[in-house]
Amino acid sequence: MTDATHPSVAETRAARRVTLRHIADSAFLIIVIYLVMAVVYVAVQPSALSAYSIESLFNNSLPLMLAAAGATFVILQGGFDLSVAGTISLVNVVIATTPMEGPGGALALLALAVALGMAVGAINGIIVAYLRIQAIAATLATMIICQGIALLILKAPGGMVSDFMVYELTASLTDRVPYALVIAALGVVFWTIYSRTDAGRNLLAVGQDRKAAALSGINVQRTEFFSFVWAGAFYALAAYMLAAQTSTGNPSAGEPFLLLTFAAVALGGTAFGGGRGGVTASLFGAATLMLMQKVLFAMGVSSFYTGVIQGMIMITAVLFSAAVHHAASNRRGA
Amino acid sequence: MGQLLAVQDLAKRYGATVALGGVTMGIRAGEVHAILGENGAGKSTLVKILSGVVQPNDGTMLLDGAPHTPASIFAARGAGVSTAFQELSLIPHLSVAENLLLPKVSRGRFWPERRASIMQRAAAILAEWEITDIAPDAMIEDLPLAQRQRIEITRALSHATRLLVLDEPTAALPDTSWLFRQIRRLTERGVAVMYISHRLSEVREICQRATILRNGASIETVDLAGVDDAGIFAMMVGHAPAAPRSETETATGDILLETRDLHVGAIKGLNLTLRAGEIVGVAALEGQGQQDLFQALGGVRKRASGDIIVGGRSAPLGTPGKAQRTAPGIAFVPEERKADGIFDNLTAATNIVMADFASRSTGAFVNARLERNRAAKSAERVALSPRYLGFEVGNLSGGNQQKVLLARALMTGAKILILFDPARGVDVGTKQSIYAMMDDFVANGGTILFYSSELTELVQLSTRCVVLYNGQVSAEVSRADMTEERLLAAAHGPARTPPTPLREAS
Repeated sequence: MTDATHPSVAETRAARRVTLRHIADSAFLIIVIYLVMAVVYVAVQPSALSAYSIESLFNNSLPLMLAAAGATFVILQGGFDLSVAGTISLVNVVIATTPMEGPGGALALLALAVALGMAVGAINGIIVAYLRIQAIAATLATMIICQGIALLILKAPGGMVSDFMVYELTASLTDRVPYALVIAALGVVFWTIYSRTDAGRNLLAVGQDRKAAALSGINVQRTEFFSFVWAGAFYALAAYMLAAQTSTGNPSAGEPFLLLTFAAVALGGTAFGGGRGGVTASLFGAATLMLMQKVLFAMGVSSFYTGVIQGMIMITAVLFSAAVHHAASNRRGA
Repeated sequence: MGQLLAVQDLAKRYGATVALGGVTMGIRAGEVHAILGENGAGKSTLVKILSGVVQPNDGTMLLDGAPHTPASIFAARGAGVSTAFQELSLIPHLSVAENLLLPKVSRGRFWPERRASIMQRAAAILAEWEITDIAPDAMIEDLPLAQRQRIEITRALSHATRLLVLDEPTAALPDTSWLFRQIRRLTERGVAVMYISHRLSEVREICQRATILRNGASIETVDLAGVDDAGIFAMMVGHAPAAPRSETETATGDILLETRDLHVGAIKGLNLTLRAGEIVGVAALEGQGQQDLFQALGGVRKRASGDIIVGGRSAPLGTPGKAQRTAPGIAFVPEERKADGIFDNLTAATNIVMADFASRSTGAFVNARLERNRAAKSAERVALSPRYLGFEVGNLSGGNQQKVLLARALMTGAKILILFDPARGVDVGTKQSIYAMMDDFVANGGTILFYSSELTELVQLSTRCVVLYNGQVSAEVSRADMTEERLLAAAHGPARTPPTPLREAS
């Protein structure tokens, strides 16, 4: 329009804006941060590249990655879900107290875990989406209830996890690629497809503008409801992998996940108001958080300082991603 | 022609508030039917009920003889009724294509549809409705308001198989030719159109009949050919409209605000002077830098270079707060009230006094009665009925929301008002109140810079008019030789004659 006299300038500007936006919207930034962190880790800890080291890194990271992936579904639609801690504790003790051996047993347990997680998510979804109770209050309540039930099932850490889960699921495919990495990659593939479905797109639309989404014909309540159900499924997966990794059940297993999950989502660059971000970013956010701990440990940083440094790195990362967003959406000049 | 839509005794209450109290009307197939009424007459509620956003408490609707009781937007679309909403319902960070196709963007059942194929289908929709200047993969948030409005309308057009509801479709459109062409194509297929607009000339051009609403009830359905404007106004307000406002003479007051070689956004080297006692109008086609200029003067946007001189001193105006405090004070009323100005779930009174308390008090408690009293004084100046002061702003009609914003601007005690399209999408009654407030404001030593997308408004109100083209002043027109034709010609650039219609002929 106004740029008719300088079309080339306008076009370049538009093109630059598009690439910046692609970067800001994708998981690109957090992947770069993760890779940088990985290079640092290898530099300070040469043994990091050993097969054992890689395997244990991914095994340690996977539960948090899955939990963060789950929380992302709710946060993307503009909601909030504290039930992650309770769901993980509950599913974890259920697995540890339901002994089923072999691959068949592991599969049955997986189905049981996911069903349980989705059930908790569905309860959250009904309370928040249909009964219109504030998400923080509702999910805080379900978190406390789940933790209580977990304690009823298993009073103290213990229980039994099948050998198949403990040894096979935490191993590596053809002794090279950890299964944990394969599962994380499947998570990325899942989100890549899901975010292109109507359900995925509606999730982002609702997060951006509830009213406009409703007027566009989107069923906002259903979208909210299913975001909690998906979240529950992913929390259950996290609990399942946690049981395999720790080979035991713990009624308070989920507690450390509560804050770390939100930290991982924020680090990944998903907006807490909803509408922007994705599961892939959160998977990498969680992986980065875990890797950061390893790097600080390898560098010999006293554990008294790790919290402070982790926090500062997080703020830097979030600021950086905010700056890129700002540059990408600085559109008022047109 | 048979009756396509028959509405009988439709009513809707929100608690004790009666939004709609008995609407009876009918729309024929292939007809363009106007709904006329003041703010709060119930037009928006009627639209919401027809399109399934809210459900009525009483009354019946028959569509082609069958009951029409949509439980959702989606259900209404299924019945062939689609709506273009006044407050646009587009998702900002999705593409034009995705917005057009929501909520079922992907056609694949087991696998998401390819992006290229989605874009192709959206391009076909855009082509079908003669939109050539918007790419399907453009992001909604990058588009100017006028283009967004056309996308909103196009989406409704693409779903309208029986009834199209247009709520203030031209509020942001500088020209109606595209819209009217599409409406005619639709009515030729027998689709009916419910057309809601405050612009009577438009209504007369495209509509055959009109139903007048007042206080939530239908007053009468008339053939537009058989009734004059005064008669319509009388039905809308229940009495004869106020007399046209008096002429203002040229102002020679003190210079309150001046810009020297201002560069901001698309504005390139603008010199502008605002004197006490004058209303300076800004005329421009869309996208000539008017938003940038107003935002810079309001303190929302930082200038790139040049000087803004307020009250004789160079002022940086970093934020709206600073602009307010820079004597003699600048108050800015922005373009999109939904997004930029209003706190939906606070009361009107709180919204009005907000700027005042924000600028003066630090950590003091807010006295509720004092707040009501102060708000009431300001509300009176914009003719906002005091009974609305306790309402949540989100529940007020668009015109009353605009009055709240204006009252807030007055509350600050600023002498310089910067108003971006202050009367956009409001009814005649509110328009008159706003005009009276503006006159009153400058008569008391203030100055106003205002942009309007309606030329008639500029001609009627401005002491003088500045025409922007390509970020620069292409003409300054004094009161004496101000005509719509003159402004229109200047808006198309300095040396181009004869003037062409306002918008592109795509």
